[in-house]
Amino acid sequence: MVWQMTDRIPRLGIGGPVGSGKSMLIERVVPVLASKGYSISIISNDVISKEDADRMRKNLATDRGLLPENLVIGIATGGCPHTAIREDPSINISVIEEIEEKHPELDLIIIESGGDNITTTFSPSLADYFIYIIDVAGGDKYPRKRGLGIESCDLLVINKIDLAPHVGADLNVMEQDAVRIRKDKPYVFVNCKNNIGIDKVSEHIVRDLLFDSPPKVTLSNRHG
Amino acid sequence: MNIDDMRQDLGMMQISDSFFPTGLYANSNGLESIFQNNKKITHLEVGKIIETQLKQQIGPTDLIVMENALKFASAREFDKILELDMKMNSLKNIKEVREASKRSGIQLVRCIREFIKDEIIEEYLRCHQIGMISGAYPVSFGLCANALEIGSQKAGLMFLYGFIVSVVGAASRMGIIQHYQAQKIIHELKPLIAQIVSESIDKSTKEIWQFAPHLEILQMHHERIDYKMFIT
Repeated sequence: MVWQMTDRIPRLGIGGPVGSGKSMLIERVVPVLASKGYSISIISNDVISKEDADRMRKNLATDRGLLPENLVIGIATGGCPHTAIREDPSINISVIEEIEEKHPELDLIIIESGGDNITTTFSPSLADYFIYIIDVAGGDKYPRKRGLGIESCDLLVINKIDLAPHVGADLNVMEQDAVRIRKDKPYVFVNCKNNIGIDKVSEHIVRDLLFDSPPKVTLSNRHG
Repeated sequence: MNIDDMRQDLGMMQISDSFFPTGLYANSNGLESIFQNNKKITHLEVGKIIETQLKQQIGPTDLIVMENALKFASAREFDKILELDMKMNSLKNIKEVREASKRSGIQLVRCIREFIKDEIIEEYLRCHQIGMISGAYPVSFGLCANALEIGSQKAGLMFLYGFIVSVVGAASRMGIIQHYQAQKIIHELKPLIAQIVSESIDKSTKEIWQFAPHLEILQMHHERIDYKMFIT
């Protein structure tokens, strides 16, 4: 079992409004990546509780053993979710450095932002790849409202597409606006509830963030 | 005021600005615990709580540690800095307070290192890497003040000012006080800040003490709260 220590473990930032499905996206993507042998840690920034971190720990670590329980970490952000990932990411960086020191074998660290607004972005010192997630229930105007999150993220994820007919949202409008505003940058329609689009999101992560690198440690070695 | 003085003042403004990335905005220093126990807390009580913290904890412990760290860094007495870091770490009885202090301290030093070359800071970070240094915030702050060539008095003022702003900021975000009251609290604490700094500036590490049992119990409660906005 040999792995090479690189400068830093690739970091994926996931941001988006409250209730857009950030935690659910992680809960869907992690099993796909774990099935490919990738070792992952999750840091969940939460505005008012550690509920998301606790749920992900239970669902992904305790119940399914996809990662160790201590690698799902909740962080309180003092009511400033955007500060914690952009202007002053020092708390997150500090926790990540501790993880990197103890677990150089990890392939990926996922940092979930606390629910925030459409101007959310990640400091480049914190995240190497940024997914911004919105949901259809917010209305089909969402992509064209722009905002740094929607415009500048590496991958725009539009969640809860099953709700479109119920809330009067037109997915074609959302797609046209996403293409127009984001130009060549990718977007994916998903429904985290039933895994639609999750494979595509995982493919983007593996290709665009991990550069198709194989896992540092194979699954059999990890448990053997 | 000469150029050196102005440079020193600019360094003081930079490091005491809440924009400086040390994560202090995520600390309420026990205020959230008090708030959750008694939602009717007033702005006058917020001022009193900060006053107690300054007199019983931050002034007689953290400030003296910071001032001595600055002094030892200036004299290049690294062994004493090691000892001070250990002492400070052991005086932080509450785990989440201790951990937050270490994280903020190391991030502060790392940020300063990005634009200032200082032998003591390099050695401090090297020792942290091998586990010899905890990185306690007051010690880190003293080292950074020295690297920025900030004098003891100004360092003391900005150290306490930064603490007050973090607590008042937390009170504001929890909706306990409004923005004018926040500034009034800061203004009214100025004489106390000046007094504590002037009394502490020449104190040795043998004169460190703290006694804030009620506050520490509240901070212990905070560790067990499920729904919270702040790290401490």
